[in-house]
Amino acid sequence: MQSRNATQHYQSALAGYCRTGMLENIPGVVQENVPQYRRLVLNVIDDMLQNAYPLTYDLLKETEWNAIVHDFFSNHPCQSPQVWYMPREFYQYLTETAHPILTTYSFLKELLWFEWIEVELFMMEDQRVPATANGALQTDKLVLNPEHSLLTFEYPVHQKNPKKISNADKRHYFVVAHRNSNGEVIFTDVTAALMRMVEYLAEAPYTTTELFSLFETEYGLQLSETDKEAILNFLKTALQQELIAGFAK
Amino acid sequence: MVGIGYRKDFGEAFLTSKVLKPAFVEVAPENWVGVGGYWRKQFNKVLERYPLFTHGLSLSIGSPDELDFEFLKKVKVFLKETNARIYSEHLSYAKCDNAHLYDLLPIPFTNDAVQHVAGRIRTIQDLLERRIAIEIVSYYTPVAPEMKEIEFINAILEAADCDLLLDVNNVYVNGFNHQYDPKAFLKELPMDRVAYIHMAGHEQVSETLIIDTHGEAIIDPVYDLYAFAMQLLHRDVPVLLERDFNFPQLEELQAEMEQLNKIKQTALQTKNYAIA
Repeated sequence: MQSRNATQHYQSALAGYCRTGMLENIPGVVQENVPQYRRLVLNVIDDMLQNAYPLTYDLLKETEWNAIVHDFFSNHPCQSPQVWYMPREFYQYLTETAHPILTTYSFLKELLWFEWIEVELFMMEDQRVPATANGALQTDKLVLNPEHSLLTFEYPVHQKNPKKISNADKRHYFVVAHRNSNGEVIFTDVTAALMRMVEYLAEAPYTTTELFSLFETEYGLQLSETDKEAILNFLKTALQQELIAGFAK
Repeated sequence: MVGIGYRKDFGEAFLTSKVLKPAFVEVAPENWVGVGGYWRKQFNKVLERYPLFTHGLSLSIGSPDELDFEFLKKVKVFLKETNARIYSEHLSYAKCDNAHLYDLLPIPFTNDAVQHVAGRIRTIQDLLERRIAIEIVSYYTPVAPEMKEIEFINAILEAADCDLLLDVNNVYVNGFNHQYDPKAFLKELPMDRVAYIHMAGHEQVSETLIIDTHGEAIIDPVYDLYAFAMQLLHRDVPVLLERDFNFPQLEELQAEMEQLNKIKQTALQTKNYAIA
């Protein structure tokens, strides 16, 4: 009888081969069929990553794409039992290892994050908040849709074909992403000041007056009537687009 | 009853089609645990209309690694929330050395694996507070075998005291790939443990190898083997048509389900001495 370790060893050898392509001697295997397993496993990984990162896939040369996919799968032990979540680990692997591909394409880290956030917001579990549709924008506390993400980019990865992005595009981009009740993910460009307003609302529901006050106190300035009007207009649109879920009960 | 795997690709058809009429739908919990938004809303509507059967992908029953108890707890909640009638998993492993591979690798047919896997199935059944059905997977090479496949499967079923998901196409594929008679194989299985049947198409990639793709229509020899299995069973068992890609028109899928039901009903009405 084989020892427990022998069974485990052969399982590990087959799994290792699927990840790395390095096959050690395993008794009883049909040599010509073993590569089918590596092919099938890699197909799953490659398909999922292409689906999650279509813009990145389109941007990179085939050799570059294949190299980072193989690098990731060989060297990173995927942790999520849910394959749709695995592409997040791909992003994390490339950023945590400071992968050279991120230097080749200076905006790639942001592009990957933008693409992942769209997947994550689209898929994320429904989050309920105690909010009502009945209220007044000027007087009631506003409740932010929890299905949102705040993004800051140095490149317009959310606006522009990645193949046309250059260093000339480099500046600060503030973007709020959220999922509406139809399940659509919407990316909205905002100013730094409006982003700060959304950040306040992410902490707690506030009235518009309280938001103005928080901002003025933090930055030691007085908002003009024009500024306030612009903020109100943004909040009104945010309510229509469901970035603001409603009013506090 | 004959059902079909629920696919997001044509999710709307499950709610509006006058052609597609499955008796139930099947999903993998891995594809739905923690998922919300548009797809979940549509899935919830589907749940109001069809009974749900579930078929896990990543529990990795045959893995040398520890069971993922956190995920198992989430599966338990999902099964309860969706009122799932059956939870099945694969007799294979999909995780090893702390890394998920997201595909089904063959377990070595060894005595140690029998003890290990059977113990894990018992643990899972205890935690889920329900019996589970395990599926005989298709495989393309044995790995360090100490015994025959049929001995391995039967030993696990006995030691784990679990149900069997009989994937007839897998038995056909394995019989072809490993040169054995699939009917003789079926005769050696404990048919009283069969709780669920899977049927699917496959792709022959060489003179000696078939890959279990779920991307083609069921072929006649697999229908024949299914008829034989139904005669052996001689009782009504839910049957699932698996189709994961290369989707045909809904009429073709419905016709396959109707063919499966027809064969089953014929077998149930036939005295089973016919298979002797």
